[in-house]
Amino acid sequence: MKWLRGGGIVGFIIRRILLGLLVMFLVSIIVFASTQALGDPARAILGRDATPDRLAALQKELNLDQNVVGQYFQWLSGLLHGNLGTSLASQQPVSNALGPRLVSSIVLVILAAVISIPLSIAIGSYAALHREKGFDTVVSNVMLALASLPEFVVALLLVILFSTSVFHWLPAISPVPPGHRAWEYPDELILPVLTLAFAVTPYVSRIMRASMIEVLESDYVEMARLKGLSERTVLYRHALPNAIGPVFQVAAISLAYLAGGIVVIEYVFNYPGIGSELVDAVVNHDIPVVQALAILIAGLYVLLNLLADVATILVTPRLRTRL
Amino acid sequence: MVIGSQRPTRGRALQMTESGGTRWQLNERPERLFDSISRRNLLMGAGGVLLASGLAACGGSSPTPSAGGSTASAGTPKRGGNFRLGVTGGGSKDMMDGQNIVTKPDQARLMTAFETLLVFDDNYQLQTDGLAESVEADNPTQYTIKIRKGIDFQNGKPFTADDVIYSLQRIGTQGNGLTGYAATATMDIKHLKKVDKYTVQLPMLSPDSTVPQTLASYTFGMVPVGYEAYKGDPSTQVGTGCYILKSFTPGQESVHERNPNYWRGDGSPWFDTVTITDFNDSTAQLNALKGGQIDAMTDVPAGQVNAVQGSGIGILNSQTGGWIPLCMAIDMPPFDDPKVRQAFRLIIDRKAVLEQVGNGYGQIANDLYSPFDEGYDKSLPQREQDIEQAKSLLKAAGKEGLSVDLHTTNGAAGMVELASVFASQAKAAGVNVTVKNDPNYYGDSYLKLPFSVDFWGTRGYLNQVQQGSLPNSPYNETHWPPKSGTGSNFESLYKQALAETDSNKRIDIQHQMQQYEYDLGGYIIPYFNALIDGYGSGVTGLSPSKGTLNLASFGHGYRTIWFS
Repeated sequence: MKWLRGGGIVGFIIRRILLGLLVMFLVSIIVFASTQALGDPARAILGRDATPDRLAALQKELNLDQNVVGQYFQWLSGLLHGNLGTSLASQQPVSNALGPRLVSSIVLVILAAVISIPLSIAIGSYAALHREKGFDTVVSNVMLALASLPEFVVALLLVILFSTSVFHWLPAISPVPPGHRAWEYPDELILPVLTLAFAVTPYVSRIMRASMIEVLESDYVEMARLKGLSERTVLYRHALPNAIGPVFQVAAISLAYLAGGIVVIEYVFNYPGIGSELVDAVVNHDIPVVQALAILIAGLYVLLNLLADVATILVTPRLRTRL
Repeated sequence: MVIGSQRPTRGRALQMTESGGTRWQLNERPERLFDSISRRNLLMGAGGVLLASGLAACGGSSPTPSAGGSTASAGTPKRGGNFRLGVTGGGSKDMMDGQNIVTKPDQARLMTAFETLLVFDDNYQLQTDGLAESVEADNPTQYTIKIRKGIDFQNGKPFTADDVIYSLQRIGTQGNGLTGYAATATMDIKHLKKVDKYTVQLPMLSPDSTVPQTLASYTFGMVPVGYEAYKGDPSTQVGTGCYILKSFTPGQESVHERNPNYWRGDGSPWFDTVTITDFNDSTAQLNALKGGQIDAMTDVPAGQVNAVQGSGIGILNSQTGGWIPLCMAIDMPPFDDPKVRQAFRLIIDRKAVLEQVGNGYGQIANDLYSPFDEGYDKSLPQREQDIEQAKSLLKAAGKEGLSVDLHTTNGAAGMVELASVFASQAKAAGVNVTVKNDPNYYGDSYLKLPFSVDFWGTRGYLNQVQQGSLPNSPYNETHWPPKSGTGSNFESLYKQALAETDSNKRIDIQHQMQQYEYDLGGYIIPYFNALIDGYGSGVTGLSPSKGTLNLASFGHGYRTIWFS
């Protein structure tokens, strides 16, 4: 198993990418197999008009007359060539419809990450350093309350507060018009990003707090203190880098979940992301779109986890030196 | 016979006021309304009051609508602005076609650019202020359509008889799969004849006095020769209507620009642009209206109406002839016994259903459809809940302690709720109703079930019979009429009514037909529902309408509304 080690960080990244590709391949099999269970797409398209000859013609058009393995490889090769097929509902290439939505979702996730991760680290660290003091108690309880509220409740409260009932400062909805990009409408992004930040921050800051407490009680931090290092140096050079690893992991999983999972946020703000598209596609039996989105979201998970692993290794001296 | 407009009498207008004042039923999940409609190809909107023969055509303006929620009284229209409309019920299957719809946003978009030969006014009366000057029945098997001169399509091409022929033939070609196809069954579509540039002869395969109603239904939009549905190029969407399509992304948004050469020459349309945005969720829609990101919305949830009115939002409450029936198949057990059908019609508490399913927004119904038809029989006694009578009927039928499955789906608003409410009411009569909510309801099992829930829009009586109550109707859930015995002459009565040009005689025939349906039919119709739409404070010109489409046919094709 020697090949699994060595090569430093570059070797590690290469290995993780290869592993990620293997995961994606397995995911593609699962996605393909499970979308077969949605039923015959030709029948779904034709509905009441499914006469035998029209059914046969459409099945041929969609390559449904081949065996399942053949269909799978046809689909996979399309996927590898960047051809995601044609949406059954809109009759447009899947990539046309999904591209802008994917960008919108990613913009939202990146902004939420940029805001919530540093904030969580700061809050978690500060709470850990001043454990069971006023700030820690208040923040812990507020975070607990936020974590227990469903995202759409937070979203609606924000809308009521800032858009419709109390103040009229911000737009209540964020419908990025087709042909435009989400960042062209910064005021419309504030509330969705804030909602996502509220959704992520409680978890991540609690992890940060717990991890920081553990590190602060560790032998090497005690050693550093005994060496007579300033508290500042102890914190920034010794405690923080070691405590931050788990935060990346939790943040990556939360954010990946947000990318495809927060359909309600997209509904509340009428934001054109991939979550609502996935729901729409499932309702329409739009199998090419369901497949493409499942693969995209899986890819996002793999990518974010890869980034989190790399970041963890880069910041954690213990892990970095072991490579 | 000349089919034309007749100003409704004052009495009718008053009646409308009353119904407009009654609270309507509310769509609890309006976003689901059209989930299943694509397989149904509903011809929404055909129908209405049959016109008496010999009426003089007298085009002209629609009668001034009355009733609650109206903003129609405000002064002179003003030009300008971007009218932003939010619509639920759409998705990536949205389309744009002058003669076809799948989703509710499709209706909103169709109405921007396409117009019909005849039109329904807000009282659901036919008017000749559409593209045709007149539609006359020369004899029972031939109509003559005379179109207005000097109307141009949005691209400057004149609207002529060729376009009428192309439009009707496009609908009447089965392979095109258009919404209106079923309604063309009586028309001899292949032999439409151009008499001159502005006159078309429409021969009939069989007599059909409902042709004018059909021509006024919104899916009979007039399109230019060679027209095709939207496939990515907005410039292909050419109608005679008020707004020209600039951009369209299914499931998201469309932008429509003012047609500067609109044919009416009265300064309309008034907005510079119309923007139609799809919403997944009525909460977001309502927030956007409150927050000022949209100017109007379809289907305000009933529970929200009072809260919303407090915040400066206008509510347009329109009583329609739409209905959600419980359908008993009259040839399938246990409903093949008329006593069981009778018992079930006595089990239901219509007022409670209206309150619980419709939130009180609607009008109590009497197991008959098409309330705005002049042949609607108001003299039949209103059925009330009578559990004792129902029990004794079931006992007489030997069906005490009956258990049945009631099939429904999240189709139109209220379909699932109606099933649940009925199931709980049936317990009082010792009937055990199991609700089966099936997402694939409109697939294989639809029309083959003994007991099910369905939904219908506003339609005239004979148009509705053609759609749902004849042996060859496309959507006959109740398998009406009976094959033998009383009521088995229903279809021949229907044919007589279609051919009858004397309106009094036709009404008599319709009353006979309704008597059969009232006594023996398979529908339980608890109430007629309302459409409740919302609009921002600046929007002027909206008034309640009895038609099928939201926001008074979307402001009559975005023509009669403006920003004050």
